[in-house]
Amino acid sequence: MERKELEEQIFEMIAQLYKKDAEDLSLDTTFKDDLGGASVLMVGLVSEIENELDVMIQLQDAAACETIGDLVDKVEEEME
Amino acid sequence: MSILEKLSLKAKEHPMRVAFPEGENEKMMQAAYECALEGAISAILVGDTEKLRDLASERGLDPEKFTYADLADETIIADVIAKYTALPDTRLKEKALRRRMADPLYYAMVMQAAGEADVTFAGINYTTEDVLLAGQMIIGLKEGISTVSSIGLCEIPGFCGSEGELLAVGDSAVCANPSEEQLADIAISACETVKELLDWEPRCAFISYSTLGSGQGPLIDKVSAAVKIAQEKRPDLKLDGEFQLDAAIVPAVAEKKVKRESAVAGKANVLIWPDLNVGNAGVKLIQILGHADAYGPLLQGFKKIICDCSRSAPVSELKGNIIMSAIRAAAQ
Repeated sequence: MERKELEEQIFEMIAQLYKKDAEDLSLDTTFKDDLGGASVLMVGLVSEIENELDVMIQLQDAAACETIGDLVDKVEEEME
Repeated sequence: MSILEKLSLKAKEHPMRVAFPEGENEKMMQAAYECALEGAISAILVGDTEKLRDLASERGLDPEKFTYADLADETIIADVIAKYTALPDTRLKEKALRRRMADPLYYAMVMQAAGEADVTFAGINYTTEDVLLAGQMIIGLKEGISTVSSIGLCEIPGFCGSEGELLAVGDSAVCANPSEEQLADIAISACETVKELLDWEPRCAFISYSTLGSGQGPLIDKVSAAVKIAQEKRPDLKLDGEFQLDAAIVPAVAEKKVKRESAVAGKANVLIWPDLNVGNAGVKLIQILGHADAYGPLLQGFKKIICDCSRSAPVSELKGNIIMSAIRAAAQ
């Protein structure tokens, strides 16, 4: 999967789970300050990534990501 | 009769099915065995059935006293996955579930969510974080509850509180620095936990260094805001504060410091700490200076009962936690 496509898929997942507009999200969007940092939503996001991208990210690794870009990097790393 | 002896009798009235993902561990197997032998639970060992049976025999335990859920049993796996994925609001789909279920902890929780077990009991090898993460992913949080938390049950010799020598306190173990909303949810969950476990009518006090505005500052503001949130969310529960510890549990002090009607002041049976700094110190003070036994932590906030025991717990402590978890599950 191309990096751009992966980014778009993850933006869509985050937009749906965090109830945001995907167009307002960027790789610099932070989970804590911009998205509210709810751990319950992060559980949902990790599950969605596992379901749709077939990549198992440990929740503690995902929770350590400061920005969406960090998470995309982590998913890309696991896909390689 | 001690509280644990009383609870043991109660558990035997409706033995629950408890799944043990760490059945290979000798202490865990022994505790599960003794509880099953006494008729308090039905013990399900999750793992490699043949290995578990052999281990039981080697340890002088009757393997027939357990039931088994084998990690390689495709029939069981397909059955629980079908049941799990048919549930509303579950997170993982079949492929992801299969991958997760290679881990006995996830296997046990999927079984539990699917209705094939009533409790998942772990923590002797798994870390607290492992248990909490698996619980959030597979079991999920109760409707309206924003955080996982815990309470402990203290049996304090010589204490003459509203429940005799017993007092429930929380959170002393899980939620480090709760927000106002989370603190409210910890209190609400604690009330549910003591109702399930002890049939108490909870009287829950939010603890602070101030009693009803006797002090001022952001630390107090958080607690008083949490009280309001909790009271609005659950007007059916007796939740009050902010109170100093003495105003919460000593009737004479409450009479002096609380100048309005309160169903809680002076007779609280549940104390909610403002954060984990206080909670950790508080429970250790009760244990060391009050010579108390503290049982737990009892995890709360999940849709179903999950127990994370201490990794250094002896068999007797494991048994107490198994029994308390089973009673809570029976009450749900």
